Amino acid sequence: MSILVVDDISAGYGSGPDILKGLSLEVEEGKTYCIIGPNGAGKSTLLKAICGLLHPRQGSVTYKGEDIGKKRTDEILMKGISYVPQDRSLFPDMTVKENLRMGGYTMRDRKELENRIDEVLEMFPILGERSSQSSKTLSGGEQQMLAIGRTLVLNPTIIMLDEPSLGLAPKVAQYIFDTIDQLKDSGMTILLVEQNARKGLECSDWGCVLDLGINRFEGPADTILQDPRIQELYLGSQKRKSVEEVE
Amino acid sequence: MTQAIQVIIFGATLGGVYALMASGLTLVFGVMRIVNIAHAILMILAAYIAFYAFQLYNLDPILSVFITIPVMFLVGIIIYKLFFSLISAEDRKGELTVLLTFSLAIIVEGVLGAQFGNTYRSANPGYASEAILVGSFIIPKGQLYATILSVLLIGLLWLFLKYSRIGYAIRATMQNQSAAQVVGVNVERMSMIAFGIGIALAGASGSMMSFLFTFYPGKHWEFIAILLSLIVLGGMGSLGGAVIGAFLLAILSALVGSYIGFTWSPITFFLALFIILLFRPQGLLGKKEDI
Repeated sequence: MSILVVDDISAGYGSGPDILKGLSLEVEEGKTYCIIGPNGAGKSTLLKAICGLLHPRQGSVTYKGEDIGKKRTDEILMKGISYVPQDRSLFPDMTVKENLRMGGYTMRDRKELENRIDEVLEMFPILGERSSQSSKTLSGGEQQMLAIGRTLVLNPTIIMLDEPSLGLAPKVAQYIFDTIDQLKDSGMTILLVEQNARKGLECSDWGCVLDLGINRFEGPADTILQDPRIQELYLGSQKRKSVEEVE
Repeated sequence: MTQAIQVIIFGATLGGVYALMASGLTLVFGVMRIVNIAHAILMILAAYIAFYAFQLYNLDPILSVFITIPVMFLVGIIIYKLFFSLISAEDRKGELTVLLTFSLAIIVEGVLGAQFGNTYRSANPGYASEAILVGSFIIPKGQLYATILSVLLIGLLWLFLKYSRIGYAIRATMQNQSAAQVVGVNVERMSMIAFGIGIALAGASGSMMSFLFTFYPGKHWEFIAILLSLIVLGGMGSLGGAVIGAFLLAILSALVGSYIGFTWSPITFFLALFIILLFRPQGLLGKKEDI
């Protein structure tokens, strides 16, 4: 049973051209999806279109049977879909705790919010130690933990992570992937855009390859990992060709 | 030395009012990333409200803040709804808003000129011409009261921004607009509220202006130039910076006026603007990415 259905959407920025050109994707509850593809394929644009930061020009985004394509980000958040952007997007002059509090901005119950923040701080003890420090003083890895933690305050059904390991040292990136595994084990549905395609696919159930704004092909993550076309394009070190050339 | 302290007292007691004037401008810049050229003419509009409330109903100009703040908040919301919401999705929003607020300033100036003429006005409550003697120092009562009220209002604004839910959202929008959207802040609504608050602060400043300065519609050009110097010195979008910048420049301007000549006093603001743009363009408390 699909919890989220992206059906034939086209989307772009401002008055610019379409980045997504009739993209479709079905997401099942509790599964982890890794979205890979070359730069400009529309990976981040897809996540933005799902969370309401960008409204599709055509097609529909349906969550639990309801069309959310034209809804605002705050409305989509309250329905249970959260997004961690590529640049982490923290509030630099706010403390760690204030950032987490902003994560629960749409929550009305203040007591529940404080409880959720405590749970997140338990999950990321390093953030607990730095709770009164401003977020701009954190290391890259800690900032990523905070960005993920801030999203978890709302206890979302679907979490979308855009390049969570970008710019992190291998050891720190591994910690982030372990965290993703933890979220996966808790039954959360995860949409992961990851430049480290191999690592991303290894911790996912399903893989989708985007190219030129469409979902070029998809399948079980381990099958995609073994696919020679994908290996050549995204996982190997050979000269890159377009997907069409490989096909 | 005694003369210097006296001049500093004069400067400091005006600094609070300049800080109040600049705080609204810097708040609007911080949230919406626009320079509201119409800020000072809206202060003049509020000064007329306070002036006529005093002339016609004998309402103390300081107490007139209870009228000018809500009225000007409403004016801010109406301006936002009429103009800014129409261009919020435009790619060249930044340039358009500067032109828009510039046009708005000219239109309001014209309407005020047509309605009230270009006669110099100033409310004259008793305390405006009285002073308190502390030892051998003179503290002008009007300036003192205005600065105390201004500092109080800035304090209330700070508490609102620091502890209220809307305040959190406004600060979040100031710090990172896309992150604010990601956590569910309705950035458009927060921009409207922040603009309303900014104009409400212009309203309170207008009440103070009505008895501290003589004013007429065209006077706003002088004030907007001074206010821009203050917020550039403090750091665009920084409330603390605006307050520090206002006190620093008000005192410096008073010292220049006293020791070099009053003709040179207004130039202090613009000289400071040049120096800060040359050596620390982000201002005292601003961030490099704000410029």
